[in-house]
Amino acid sequence: MKPRLGEWLLLTGFLGITSTLLLAFLWAPSVSLDAFESPAAQRLFYWHVPSAWAAFIAFGALFLGSAGWMFKRSERMWRLHVAGSEAGLATGLMTVWSGCVWGAAEWGTPWDWSDVRLNTFGLLTLLAVYLVLGRNSQPDGIETRDTFAGFGLYGFVLVPFTYIATRIWAIRHPGPVVGTGDEGSINGDMGLVLFLGALSFTALIMGHILTSMRITKCEQRIFQVQQVLDKEVL
Amino acid sequence: MDGMTYLAVGYFGMVVGIGLWTYTVVIRSRRLSERLDSIEAALPSEDAKEH
Repeated sequence: MKPRLGEWLLLTGFLGITSTLLLAFLWAPSVSLDAFESPAAQRLFYWHVPSAWAAFIAFGALFLGSAGWMFKRSERMWRLHVAGSEAGLATGLMTVWSGCVWGAAEWGTPWDWSDVRLNTFGLLTLLAVYLVLGRNSQPDGIETRDTFAGFGLYGFVLVPFTYIATRIWAIRHPGPVVGTGDEGSINGDMGLVLFLGALSFTALIMGHILTSMRITKCEQRIFQVQQVLDKEVL
Repeated sequence: MDGMTYLAVGYFGMVVGIGLWTYTVVIRSRRLSERLDSIEAALPSEDAKEH
């Protein structure tokens, strides 16, 4: 079978992520020993930040899909909602997992319940868990879709809240290192690896969204065709 | 555990996880496409044209 655009993007993204990890591990400069408890674990930053970026793209897709279903009743937008929730779950778990690994090495604890950024992002990931598990356990229908789309719409408020959390409440999670308006705290080589990671994660998540939308379309079409075949038999 | 070993284990787990996830998404998409093609082939031509 000829690969589709979504599959190419998934493959390109995966290869880019693997290259990013190799570069982060073997090539990116080390950080100051005085600045971190665990300087080696800081290299998780090249995975953690791009995966959080991809998570925000996924939750953006979830918001668009939810709004498109709610206000336009568009089947394509419902498929975007489904793809956004699955992509949000995957990238959310990647971000949380890498953050916990880093936190365990740097802070001595994988999670801090008093940190606003950690908890709002954790809630976002739990929202995606609820949407994915809930949709798989409920029969498809307008009421079910409305309920999940409502959660997708209102849950999106956590995205800007999570983004600004470290700017307002600097508790445990480090503040922003890019897009701060000044020169930031990363040098050119670090920025290059981080940029490659962001590009790779963007390709991967776009590939996932396209492929997931196609999967939902196929499932819907199979359901329609089975109904036609059932009528023929009866 | 040594810092770099700890990091390597963390990275390895993430790469394997994301590789498995990517693989399952692609395989699921391909299987469904094949299933749809075969089920559409079983449809009478009039019904197939409707969709």
